[in-house]
Amino acid sequence: MRILLTLLGKDFANLRRNRAALVLTFIVPMVIIYIVGLVFGLGRNDSGPSGIPFAVVNESDNPAAQKLVAALQAEKSFRILTKFVNPDKTTRPLTEADLRPMIRDRQFSYALVIPPDLLSDSRLGLHLKILSDPRNDIESQIVNGLLQKTIFSNVPQLLGQSLQARAKKYVGTAETDTFNRAIVRDVVATFGGDPDRMLVSMQNGDFGFDQLTQRLATATGSTGQAGPTEGAGTDIFSRIVEIDREQVVGKDVKSPAATRIVGGYAVMFLLFALSNSAAAFFDEKNSGVFQRLLSSPVSRAQLLWSRFLYGVLFGLVQLMALFFAGHLLYGVDVFGHLGNLLIVCASVAAACTGFGMLLAAITRSAAAASSLATMLVIIMSACGGAWFPVSFMPEFMQHIARFTIVYWAIEGFSAVLWAGDSLGQLLPILGILLGTTAVVMTIAVWRLNRSPMFE
Amino acid sequence: MLQLRSVTKRYGALTALSDISLDIERGEFFGLLGPNGAGKSTLMSLVAGLRAADAGTLALDGVALTTADPTGRLALGLVPQHIALYQELSADQNLRIFGRLYGLRGAGLRERVDEALAAVQLIDRRKDQVKTFSGGMQRRLNLAAALLHRPKLLLCDEATVGVDPQSRNAIFEYLERLNRAGLTIIYSTHYMEEATRLCSRIGIIDHGKILALGTLDELLTRLPFEEEIRFAATTEAAPLAARVSALGELTTLDGTHRFRPHPDCKLSAFFALTESLGLPARLFTSQRPTLEALFLHLTGRNIRE
Repeated sequence: MRILLTLLGKDFANLRRNRAALVLTFIVPMVIIYIVGLVFGLGRNDSGPSGIPFAVVNESDNPAAQKLVAALQAEKSFRILTKFVNPDKTTRPLTEADLRPMIRDRQFSYALVIPPDLLSDSRLGLHLKILSDPRNDIESQIVNGLLQKTIFSNVPQLLGQSLQARAKKYVGTAETDTFNRAIVRDVVATFGGDPDRMLVSMQNGDFGFDQLTQRLATATGSTGQAGPTEGAGTDIFSRIVEIDREQVVGKDVKSPAATRIVGGYAVMFLLFALSNSAAAFFDEKNSGVFQRLLSSPVSRAQLLWSRFLYGVLFGLVQLMALFFAGHLLYGVDVFGHLGNLLIVCASVAAACTGFGMLLAAITRSAAAASSLATMLVIIMSACGGAWFPVSFMPEFMQHIARFTIVYWAIEGFSAVLWAGDSLGQLLPILGILLGTTAVVMTIAVWRLNRSPMFE
Repeated sequence: MLQLRSVTKRYGALTALSDISLDIERGEFFGLLGPNGAGKSTLMSLVAGLRAADAGTLALDGVALTTADPTGRLALGLVPQHIALYQELSADQNLRIFGRLYGLRGAGLRERVDEALAAVQLIDRRKDQVKTFSGGMQRRLNLAAALLHRPKLLLCDEATVGVDPQSRNAIFEYLERLNRAGLTIIYSTHYMEEATRLCSRIGIIDHGKILALGTLDELLTRLPFEEEIRFAATTEAAPLAARVSALGELTTLDGTHRFRPHPDCKLSAFFALTESLGLPARLFTSQRPTLEALFLHLTGRNIRE
């Protein structure tokens, strides 16, 4: 028993000394549990996505349209944009003409146009227009569901108005008014109530359908998470709301989800691979290979930059291989965008290589570099959108995501493979990736030149 | 050939090398002897251009040796203390990589690789991964990799650590052949036997300073005694050990007492004492003093402490 306890004590003593193992054992899982919990709404009052930018152009003078806009603004999942900001920082209301270029510029992915003919006496029901860039398929489904729920809860009154308008067109204003008064009189006679209030409600199209549709929605489970074609409630929705849908970006892409999945996991595994090469730095130091190399006509700069180039080429090959696999498995259109994809992959590989070299520069051993890498790569992948869209996370996490290589890598892949962006359009993302590379490499080279790595 | 002038190197508060001046002549087999932490590896790394000196200058055939300028390093070959090879690659691949770094190409490179592998008796294993080699074979290849470009000066930093006696002997013989062929060698070690066997001139270094410098004979003349008497540290000899300090210096290493008489003490006085204690003469051996005795004399401690 004493021997067993001694051996047990030895293992715990070793674990206690190994900070990296402790971090990986306890801290990393806690962080991941926290992030995934946030994604699934744990500990949040606002479960589900939040702050999804959503543009609304209201071209209708119908008061109910205003009500619809207000309802959308009240929806926490959306951040409603109605203003166009001029270069001089003044604003004006958004117009439909603004939407398409703004969507292409990735300022937002979804827009609702409430046209002047929201209600028309030539048709029964409503007319709306939705413009979208559904690059993120899961987010798109959720946005559609939320939009449907919001419109659905505001449709009844608009539908009543539509009925009133149609009646006035076909039977005349006086006859319609007579009809309304007759209905009010009979309802009051049968059920009681205030005839004047009831008449105003009827003339405004409020027939009390909202209570009916709410019950129907509850009964069919149409709570905003369902897709636009699911459920009996949706059938009613599609009959009374005529929506013109226009996909602004990625019309020809066969598999939108594949881009994010392949790109996200590719960059995560690239980070792992390059972090291992950071650990290999220490192996070369410890084996004396660096000493041998540096005693030859090789400078530190050549040694470092050859490592960097190796990382970039390695990363480029790995990323392209995974995208080719994505092409074979899911039809990701690699060949249609080969040139730009190579440029983005090279930029991502450069940023990831810089990250790996920074790890080597700031740690003191292969084990420390490896542990820190595992921790950072997992957290960056979770925060940066490799596992699930960043819009699923609280807004503060979405801001944090922008400080990760993973986020910008996925943005770059998506811009090429989903949006088919030109090289000029890719420049901001490439600038961020290459800027990150420059900053990280500057720090890494500075640190490595002052560390005992090469002595 | 190699000149060091007032070289100083510090690591924070620790002075690893203090005002070292040294000249190595062409064709010398120079031994740098000292205990671990004496400054041998630091001195080697400064010559190899791995570190920069805080003060002083180093030059090889008039060309300054610095970390920034690789020119001087072209004439150097370094055999690091560790097996500085790519373990996953073959012997042949390793040598080709290191040869290319020195500008060797094509047939010239092939010829040098063949020559180096033959010299260290690894020609038959050239295609095998280094990790499959024995420790001795790896050491030999480690040496061969430093010689591909035919350097003028070879730096061997504890090049036989962990090597079996047979491989060590093979390495020594190879180094001696190279030296006879004109190669200048600086060999750092903490084994006095290695320095004694190999080196034509020896520098004894400790705490970053060269304490003594010269040929073996020159160094040993610095000792105040000409003979060292050794006897086993047994209970039988314990009374002698207790009383002998009045006559000279007694140290014990590996179960053996070593007695070095004071300059004014005659050996006859020592043997008179042994006789009075009834100790037979067969217990004692008289030897010429070693570098270890010199180190002890210079520093007051053993080289392996």
